[in-house]
Amino acid sequence: MEQKILEIVSQIMGVPLQSVTLASSAENIPTWDSLKHMNLVLALEQTFDIHLSEEQIVELTRVDSILTIVGKLVGS
Amino acid sequence: MTLSFADLSKWLREADRSGFRPFRLVVLRNIVVEPLETYLRYGAARLGLDLDVQWGDYDTISSEAVGEVSKWISLDTQAVMVFCHLEGASWGLARQFNSLDRTHQAAERARVVDWTETVVRGIRSKTQAMILWQGFLTPAYPAQGIFDSQTSHGQLGAIRQLNDAVRDALRRTPGAYFVDLDLCRGRVGDRHFYDYRYWHMGRAPFSLEAYEEIASENLKFLRAVVGKAKKCLVLDCDNVLWGGVVGEDGLANLKLGASYPGSTYQEFQQVVLDLHQRGVILALCSKNNEADVREVFGRHPDMILQEAHFAAQRVNWNNKVTNLRELAAELNIGLDSMVFVDDSEFEINLVRSQLPEVETIHIPAAMASRAGHRLLSAGLFDTLTVSAEDARRGQMYREEAIRQHQRAAATDLEGYYRSLDMRLEIGFVDDLSLPRVAQQTQKTNQFNLTTRRYTEADIQAFARREDAAVIFARLRDRFGDSGIVGTCILIFAQGEALIDTFLLSCRALGRGVEDAFLSQSLRLAKARGASAVVGEYYATGKNAQVSDFFASRGFEEIGAGDGGADRRFRLDLSRPVPPEPEYFGGIEAPIPLAAPNRA
Repeated sequence: MEQKILEIVSQIMGVPLQSVTLASSAENIPTWDSLKHMNLVLALEQTFDIHLSEEQIVELTRVDSILTIVGKLVGS
Repeated sequence: MTLSFADLSKWLREADRSGFRPFRLVVLRNIVVEPLETYLRYGAARLGLDLDVQWGDYDTISSEAVGEVSKWISLDTQAVMVFCHLEGASWGLARQFNSLDRTHQAAERARVVDWTETVVRGIRSKTQAMILWQGFLTPAYPAQGIFDSQTSHGQLGAIRQLNDAVRDALRRTPGAYFVDLDLCRGRVGDRHFYDYRYWHMGRAPFSLEAYEEIASENLKFLRAVVGKAKKCLVLDCDNVLWGGVVGEDGLANLKLGASYPGSTYQEFQQVVLDLHQRGVILALCSKNNEADVREVFGRHPDMILQEAHFAAQRVNWNNKVTNLRELAAELNIGLDSMVFVDDSEFEINLVRSQLPEVETIHIPAAMASRAGHRLLSAGLFDTLTVSAEDARRGQMYREEAIRQHQRAAATDLEGYYRSLDMRLEIGFVDDLSLPRVAQQTQKTNQFNLTTRRYTEADIQAFARREDAAVIFARLRDRFGDSGIVGTCILIFAQGEALIDTFLLSCRALGRGVEDAFLSQSLRLAKARGASAVVGEYYATGKNAQVSDFFASRGFEEIGAGDGGADRRFRLDLSRPVPPEPEYFGGIEAPIPLAAPNRA
């Protein structure tokens, strides 16, 4: 799942896959703006067949937190 | 099978789109709909277009459209989409409906319609681009609950009347179209269409499913305007038109009729007939004994489709690839104008691999009940207008088949032409002919010297220019009326006339109509004082048959020039115009086109 999340972040933000790590976030990926953030949320939901709450959406601005939140939803 | 949003984003970044035609789209909006871009660009790529999407700033519809300068709309914009969410146009109608009395409701509607007209006029003053106005959505839970639907002046009624008035306003503007978002919403379903989280967080109302459907609906308009609408539906017989295999099961055991499972096939036949009646050419391509299929058409009481609806057929045991090639040649249309429907995965894959330009639709037996929707959903055959010609097209192709038959029997070709009693009417484009003339530029591929695609608005702009003329040719003969079959656009500059467009519908080819129409066009150029005519040829891969057209009509080749044409030709008009073929029963043209020079 980690690999799939890294791929989606790379695809949506338009940055090379090797540059995306667990430490990547809206702070250090310049293309990660609010519109791309929405695309990211929609892509994650579609790919993993999950539904994110508004609170979770706001927290999803780091790759490591994406992994935690998506992991919890997929596992449950 | 369908690609996910993330896959599409990746594909768009990586796919090689060199050789694709650039297409510039501007989106004006008072909501956030950016995820639409991914679906639009992917769908456009499948039409051979490299779509460039310019996003107008949030909530700047008025200033972009009406302001003196637009940041995004320019002369080379090819389409403008307008997303106006009702809340942004009228908070009252959208959110405070019950606080408005009827007078206020009417006033609000009138205000929004006025505003819409101003916006559309503003866009039109800046560009001739196609305008795609996204209609207002009706609410899932109208303001007056179940009572709302009991009268025509509830919230639903008010929004429907608003959409009707907007539609009327758009109809008065050539090249402006109403995109019915309520249709999209209905297909996806309310619960899946909206995403209320992002509505409140970022004024983005729609779900991914909604974006995909909205993109698909808008892409139908793009397909039509760039001339990629399909023309011919080629159908397999067994397990497509009826359930079962006629050669094995026998006529009496076929599934076809009013009750299940025959009803699914009957319903599909009705969908096909509807397409035929709006101008789609039908053909059969089936591995069967011809006599068996003929017997079904002739004797089965529940057949909706009749043999006469089909312009051509290949019912034999040959390879379907060969059959499709032959059908295209017989009907004089390109393979890329064809849609092939079959229940066999083998046949579908064979055609996909050997004839990738043919659009294929696989309908496995388990999908028979949804076959009609499957055929209609992509809007492959959709056109921007349905003209009188369209309704008659099937009949015109049958008339053509009779002509071909008689022609094959005739020993003296000129005598045969004379016996057709062909009558050609040449006219300047007017309100009535405008839709068909624009449609011809959008759809004609083979006998088309320059293949320039024009919207109704473009044609109207040419017609208004003092230095340009748009004429059409209408053909009738003793078998019937072929309608408008030719379009020519002349542009006058520096004492010469440039043939911007010269095209003929394939159903009028091969009987001298091209010569008569060219002579008439030259007469017009001469009457307008041109000393010479310049003709161009742009090769498209489909119009090789007209590569030598001008050269073979006495034009002199003058080199390609630097305007992008592959070949250019010139004809001195100080000499007499070549006469129209003598075997026409009559050629009528308005003044000042000048009468034909034979007595």
